[in-house]
Amino acid sequence: MITATTVIRVGTAEAGGVGVTRGELRVGDTPDGDVVSIPVAIVRGAGEGPVLWLHGCVHGDEYCGAFIIHELLRTVNPARLAGVVVALPMLNITASQRGQRMSPFATFGHGDLNRCFPGTADGAFTDQMAHAIYGGLRRWADYFIDFHTALTPDTRWALFANAPGEVGRKAEGMARAFGLKSTLPAPMEILGGSAMMAAARDGVPSLIVEMGGIGPAFERETVLEGAERLRNVMRHLGMLAEKPTEHGPLTYFSNFAWVNATRGGLFEPAVQCGQQLDKGTLLGRYTSVHGDILEEVASPHAGIVLAIHPGPAMATGDVLVHIGLDPRET
Amino acid sequence: MATLRIGTAVLEGVGIARGYLKVGDMPDGRPMQIPVLLGRGAAPGPTLWLHGCVHGNEACGAFVLHRLFRGLETAALSGTLIALPILNITAFRAKQRMSPFEGFAGGDLNRCFPGKPDGTLTEQMAHAIYTELKAHADYFVDLHTAMTADVRWALFANVPGEVGRKAESMARAFGFTSTLPAPMDILAGSAMMSAARDGIPSLIVEAGGKGPAFTAALVADVVERLQNVMRRLGLLPGLVTEHGPLTYFSNFAWVRAVQGGLFQRAVRCGEHLKVGSVLGHYYDLWGRPTGEALSPHAGIVLAIHPGPVMASGETLVHIGLDPREV
Repeated sequence: MITATTVIRVGTAEAGGVGVTRGELRVGDTPDGDVVSIPVAIVRGAGEGPVLWLHGCVHGDEYCGAFIIHELLRTVNPARLAGVVVALPMLNITASQRGQRMSPFATFGHGDLNRCFPGTADGAFTDQMAHAIYGGLRRWADYFIDFHTALTPDTRWALFANAPGEVGRKAEGMARAFGLKSTLPAPMEILGGSAMMAAARDGVPSLIVEMGGIGPAFERETVLEGAERLRNVMRHLGMLAEKPTEHGPLTYFSNFAWVNATRGGLFEPAVQCGQQLDKGTLLGRYTSVHGDILEEVASPHAGIVLAIHPGPAMATGDVLVHIGLDPRET
Repeated sequence: MATLRIGTAVLEGVGIARGYLKVGDMPDGRPMQIPVLLGRGAAPGPTLWLHGCVHGNEACGAFVLHRLFRGLETAALSGTLIALPILNITAFRAKQRMSPFEGFAGGDLNRCFPGKPDGTLTEQMAHAIYTELKAHADYFVDLHTAMTADVRWALFANVPGEVGRKAESMARAFGFTSTLPAPMDILAGSAMMSAARDGIPSLIVEAGGKGPAFTAALVADVVERLQNVMRRLGLLPGLVTEHGPLTYFSNFAWVRAVQGGLFQRAVRCGEHLKVGSVLGHYYDLWGRPTGEALSPHAGIVLAIHPGPVMASGETLVHIGLDPREV
C-alpha cells in the first residue's frame, strides 16, 4: 500500500498530495511523428486506502465506459476518499477518434488492444500501447476495473478473473458490489491478452463491466447507473465511507459462447440482452437485398443473451450472439 | 401489357419481379449492381418510384421498402411500384455514407443527380439510376434517415404549379407533422430536386437514425404511411387517412460544430428551440465540461448529433425554421 509520501506518477500526471491531477500518458507515435497520448486522471484521497485503476475505451468505439468514468471523476470528493483512483478513460484514443474498435495505425495483426496485454516494448503498434499502459497498472493498481460495451444499448453484464485464492475472491467481491445480475466468474484460460487476465495473473483482483452498446448506442441513465455501481464497489473496498448496497443473488455462468455468423446479409434480431435462450430459440432473421427471408437463425446453445448483433447488416464472421452458459443463481 | 424492365428485373404482366441494375464496376472488374423490386397490378395506374440508402448507412429505408413489398398484393394494386432499396450498395457494405470506391470529391450520391455517364463513380451511379427514374416514374419518394432513432420529418420539392401541389398532397398523405415545402434553390443535385425539375412530384422522408438506430415499430409506421400515399395516388384502394394540420417550415438551417470533443445532446427531435437554447454539452478527455452548444436559431429540431464524440464541422443540429401550423 502507498504511504503519504509516495508520489504516484502516470505519464505527466503526478499526484503527491490530496486532490485531482490530470495529465497524459504517451503510448506511441503517429505516422507524422506526433505523439499519441491518452488522458490520465489521478484522484488522491485524504484517507489511506487502496489504488483502484480504471480503463475505458480499450476498444475505441465503446464510449459508454469513458462517460461512466468521467461521471465518477466529476462526483468524487478527494476529501472523502480513502485511497486513490487512477483513471484512463480513453485508452485506445486513435481508434476512438475514428469511431472504430481498433487503431487505424494497427496495420499488421495484433490490433485488438485487449488481446495484447501485458504488451511488448518493441512489438506492433498496439503491443507497444499495451506495454506503455500496463507498466503503470502493474506498478500501482491494487484493484482494476475495465469498462466495455457490447453492441446494443441494453447490454448489462460483468465478468471477473476467477483466479485461485484471494485474488479471485476479492474480484468476486467487486463483482457482487457492482451487482449486474448476469456475471461470469471467468475461467483463467479465456481472454488471453486481456488487461483483466494479465492483471489477475499479477495478483490484481480484476473486473470487466459490459454496459451499453457501440458508438452512440447508450443512454444517459446507463452512464449514471454505471457510475453509482462503481461507487458501490469503492464503498465495498473501503474507499468511500457509506455502507455498500447489497444487490442480492447474481446469475453466474460456467463460461460464454461467442457465436459468429456463418452467413451474411441484412439482419433483424429477435432477442434482447438478458433473455433466456433454449437450444433452437430464434435469434433473428437474415434477409436478402431484395427483402426475401434467407434464413431464420436458431441458437446453438441454451443460456442467457449477453450480447446480440443489432443488425441492420452483417458479413460472415460478425458476432451474431454472445451467450452466457449454464446460468445458475448464487 | 408492355414489358417493364429495370436492369435484370423484368415484368411481362402482373406480379412481382426482382433483379439488379448495374451502376458501375468494382476495382476487380465485377459489376457493381443494386437490387431492384418491381410490382405491377392488373388495373392501370401511375408508377411510384421509391428508393432507399442513397446514403449507405441509412438502412431504415431499405427495411421499409422490403416490408412494403413483403406485404404487397398485386391483385389490389392499380399501377406500378418500382423500388431500389439499397442505392449506394458499396457504401452500405462499408456501413458508411459514401462509397469507399469514390476516391475523388463528389462522393455524396444525393448531390450528384442527374449524374454523368463519364463522371466520377458516384456521378456514373447517379446517371445509371436517374435514367431509369426519369423514364418510368410518375411520383417519387426517397427514404433517408438522420442521426438518431427519433428522427421523423419530411420535405417535398415545392416546385411551382401542379408538380409541387401533387408533391404536397403526397407529403400530407404521408403526414409527418414536421414538413418542409423545400424551396427549389436548396439540395441541388438531390434526386428529389432533379425529378421535380423533370416534372415528377417528389418527396423525401427522414425517418430513423444511422446504422442500427431505428426500431421495427418505426419501419411498420413508415410502411403504413407509404401505403396511405399509395391510396392518395390511387395505387391502392381504400380511404385515405387524413393526418390533420402539419407544421411547415420556411427552410432549414444546417448548423455545423465549430468545437470538437466529447458531446452529450440535450434536445430531442421535434423539440422547440429558441435562439440560445442549450443543444448539448461538450467535455474534454478528462470529463471536464468545456462548453455548451447553443442554438443560433429558433425553430424545431429536425436532427441532432447523438454524440458521444464529434470533430469540428460535423452536423451539430438541423433546424426547421419559422414553424407554422398549416
